[in-house]
Amino acid sequence: MSFFGSLFGFFNAKPNASNRAPAFPQYPSNSGWNTTPHGRSLAAALPALEKARGRLVIIGALFLLLYMYIVYGLFDTMIFNTDAEAKNAAPPPEAAIATRGDIVDRNGELLATSLQMASLAADPALVIDANDMIKKLKTVFPDLNGADILKELNSKKRFIWIKRNLPPKQQDAVNALGIPGLSFEPEEKRLYPKGALTAHIIGYNSIDHVGIAGLEKTFDGFLTKKNQSLQLALDIRLQSILRDALAEGIKTFNAIGGAGVIMDAHNGEILSMVSLPDFDPNEVAKANDNQRFNRASLGIYEMGSTFKTFTLAQALDRGAISVSSSFDCTKPISIGRFKINDFHPMHRWLNVPEIFLHSSNIGAVQIVEKIGINAQRDFLGKLGLLKQAPLEIPEVGKPMIPVNWQEISMMTVSYGHGISVNAVQLTSAAASVLNGGTLVTPTLIKRDPAIPLPQTRVVSPITSDQMRQLYRVVVTAGTGKSANVPGYVVGGKTGTADKQSGKGYKKDARLSSFLAAFPMNDPKYVVFIMIDEPKGTKESYGFATGGWVAAPTVGRVISQIAPLLGISPVDDNDDSITETLRLPVAVKGE
Amino acid sequence: MAYHNALPSDHDLGLHDKLRNMPWGFVFLVILISSFGVTLLYSAGGANWEPWAGKQLFRMIPGLFLMLGLAMVDIRFWFKHSYMIYGVLLALLAAVAIIGHIGMGAQRWINFGGLFVLQPSEHMKVALALALAHYFHNLSYEEIGNPLRLLIPAGMVLLPVGLILIQPNLGTATLTALFSATVFFLAGVRWWVFASIGVGVPFVAMAAWNHLHAYQKARLTTFLDPEKDPLGAGYNIIQSKIALGSGGLFGKGFGMGTQSQLNFLPEKHTDFIFVVLAEEMGLIGAALLLMLFFILIVYGYVISLHSRHQFGRLLGLGLTTTMFLYLLTNVAMVTGLIPVVGIPLPLISYGGSVMLAFYIACGLLLSIAIHKDASFGRNNLD
Repeated sequence: MSFFGSLFGFFNAKPNASNRAPAFPQYPSNSGWNTTPHGRSLAAALPALEKARGRLVIIGALFLLLYMYIVYGLFDTMIFNTDAEAKNAAPPPEAAIATRGDIVDRNGELLATSLQMASLAADPALVIDANDMIKKLKTVFPDLNGADILKELNSKKRFIWIKRNLPPKQQDAVNALGIPGLSFEPEEKRLYPKGALTAHIIGYNSIDHVGIAGLEKTFDGFLTKKNQSLQLALDIRLQSILRDALAEGIKTFNAIGGAGVIMDAHNGEILSMVSLPDFDPNEVAKANDNQRFNRASLGIYEMGSTFKTFTLAQALDRGAISVSSSFDCTKPISIGRFKINDFHPMHRWLNVPEIFLHSSNIGAVQIVEKIGINAQRDFLGKLGLLKQAPLEIPEVGKPMIPVNWQEISMMTVSYGHGISVNAVQLTSAAASVLNGGTLVTPTLIKRDPAIPLPQTRVVSPITSDQMRQLYRVVVTAGTGKSANVPGYVVGGKTGTADKQSGKGYKKDARLSSFLAAFPMNDPKYVVFIMIDEPKGTKESYGFATGGWVAAPTVGRVISQIAPLLGISPVDDNDDSITETLRLPVAVKGE
Repeated sequence: MAYHNALPSDHDLGLHDKLRNMPWGFVFLVILISSFGVTLLYSAGGANWEPWAGKQLFRMIPGLFLMLGLAMVDIRFWFKHSYMIYGVLLALLAAVAIIGHIGMGAQRWINFGGLFVLQPSEHMKVALALALAHYFHNLSYEEIGNPLRLLIPAGMVLLPVGLILIQPNLGTATLTALFSATVFFLAGVRWWVFASIGVGVPFVAMAAWNHLHAYQKARLTTFLDPEKDPLGAGYNIIQSKIALGSGGLFGKGFGMGTQSQLNFLPEKHTDFIFVVLAEEMGLIGAALLLMLFFILIVYGYVISLHSRHQFGRLLGLGLTTTMFLYLLTNVAMVTGLIPVVGIPLPLISYGGSVMLAFYIACGLLLSIAIHKDASFGRNNLD
């Protein structure tokens, strides 16, 4: 309080005749007669003080004004949300209205929006002195290509573009030049605030605002209807987590790329879909073909052992096998000139869970022989794995399926070779098997909860339960241990496929993947991650398989997204959970 | 009113008196604002002590002790050594221009054998405030009216401003010049001086402009107006506005700001930290911080006015003004009212050198408060 008191004392003081600085003269060392600490010093104050006091009031008022101005600015931006771009602009020559709708994520985060801008055009017939005009324009656009424009100005055209998408200040500067023959055309600029993060999903437009890739293309008509905004199933937070984790995985294993999908296991909503490398959709011209290639939907790959999911599910569902059936996996299977072997041969009889967790090709082949060629094809067809996935973007790859589906094809397909699908349809097929057995259709657009989903059964609830048990045991005892996240009951299946090149398979070029779901006692989300051509590292003891490469990445993703998705961690050893996921047979893990 | 205010000032105050004179409210405010900063950095780091919050806290605690330590030092010590401190900083600033560590595309730092990095331009403001306060302390009102007397302090300002400008760091240079002008004004420099500078500068600038090459002009215009390209340099500000707008009244909750959490906001831990606050704690949080700062600054001015000597008064006004200008510029910058100039938020933004400079400034303000009654000889002290 004494400080504030002195503030007032200061302003009330009377100056006297002395004219020496400092403004406050020395305080007397012997001040017994002094009644207040301020009294004398202020009574002895100076003209400088008088001045300074007035000046302080001026400065103080000025600062207070500035302070109020920024507080006003803050209110303006935060509450009234006035578009500052528009506020700073010279009034556009014609009222330009942003005609393309916004794209937002499932929580309303802005993913694509349109800004009003003007583009500068010229009518060569009205230009008086072309050289002078270019010279003047260069004061505003130092990088203007004068020669090109001069050539166009001397042509017979009545309309040429000088510069597209001018910010308001440049527009103002050109106006100030006052050159006849120039005109502004109202235009809009599409802006993607999240940049590369959503590039493969949202796509981009041509400079003439026609969608040419991604959702911008598919929903071109929808978005151009005024004020129509598009809400996606995507959750930008999950997208960011998945992209970061995938990028880290790619970097760690020196891979050439990768893709990932997070899907709602019950309604097929794609909460996240990432393909790396990616590009900044705000600067499409700088992106190369590899960056623009969508590995999550356009790329089709032989997925490898994750396909055993479907072989086992079908065999269990048909009663061709039971979980406790066992098969002779002591030696490779020969068919014609081919030989089918295991990546980690166990050289013994394996029961069904062991076939799954050790990922035995020999076992899968023996199981599919109990199903048959036609039934296998029908089942995969029912899961949507044999036709182009019904995704809302144009960049969707068509599966490559055996032309001549004979016994040998049946065998290789049973463990995911000889058939290529995209990441999204693999994820939705797995969701269909694990969600209780109802077919799931993938979608990038947020579903309206009021519209009921069609209930097409693909496997029985009992089979789905059994598959959940098998998925869980891979993570507790098998190849997917590093995907485990305590409290979220993760289950999954690894996949490691050799990549094809021409007619044969590339040596040391693999696609390592992990297909997971959680919580496994009642799967709500399916997560799929694949890493393209990883190289083994010292930490992975030289291995570049799905279990070493993709499973830890999936674990990292689940540990971060589960809290965001509102899934409460549980005790993994809780009786109700272990009971649901208990296998009826003893299993020898890794 | 407490009797201790009338203590004989020729005697040094004992430690007990100093502690009693310490404006603890001010100390508390500094701690409160700094803690606010650490909390925000914790959130900006993804609700993690790494990579910023931990280090900031690690710097904040010794910084606070340094502030308290400086407060105990007799104000006349600072008076006596102000020119020397200024000289050292000027030499360091010159060294930056010559051998400076190249960071962020501009030479602003000196790396002391990898031990710590010093940004002399941040500390120069404190040294300049000391030197200017010393100079004007020794001048009578008539002497201030003599323009020849202003040549020395003008040089004291222009030398560092020039050196900061060539780094290049237009923002800091402008703020240094502005706060110096405020000190000149408060010291009693005549109106006509400011008027002639106000009239003269545009002419000089225009003359200089005509002598520049086209590419130099282009560089300057881009420098002055980074919003020319909304996807290049203007990107920051658009992202910043989206974040501010999405904060609304109450914000999205601590650690929940998508713009700031997902790395769309460049420099979110330094110059754009205010956006993290506004997005996550909304207008309420932003207003709370602005209010804390407002109280701190008013407090600073009150401390200055309370000083019985011109040195303390001008030094306090100068330091408080610097802090105020930083606050104003930073908030105006992130809300898009002025171009992006790279000015941190005092006591909040991540960065050791800047933080240290502000703790030193606060320490000096405390010293002014404690030694408000100190006796100076007129012109015969040095």
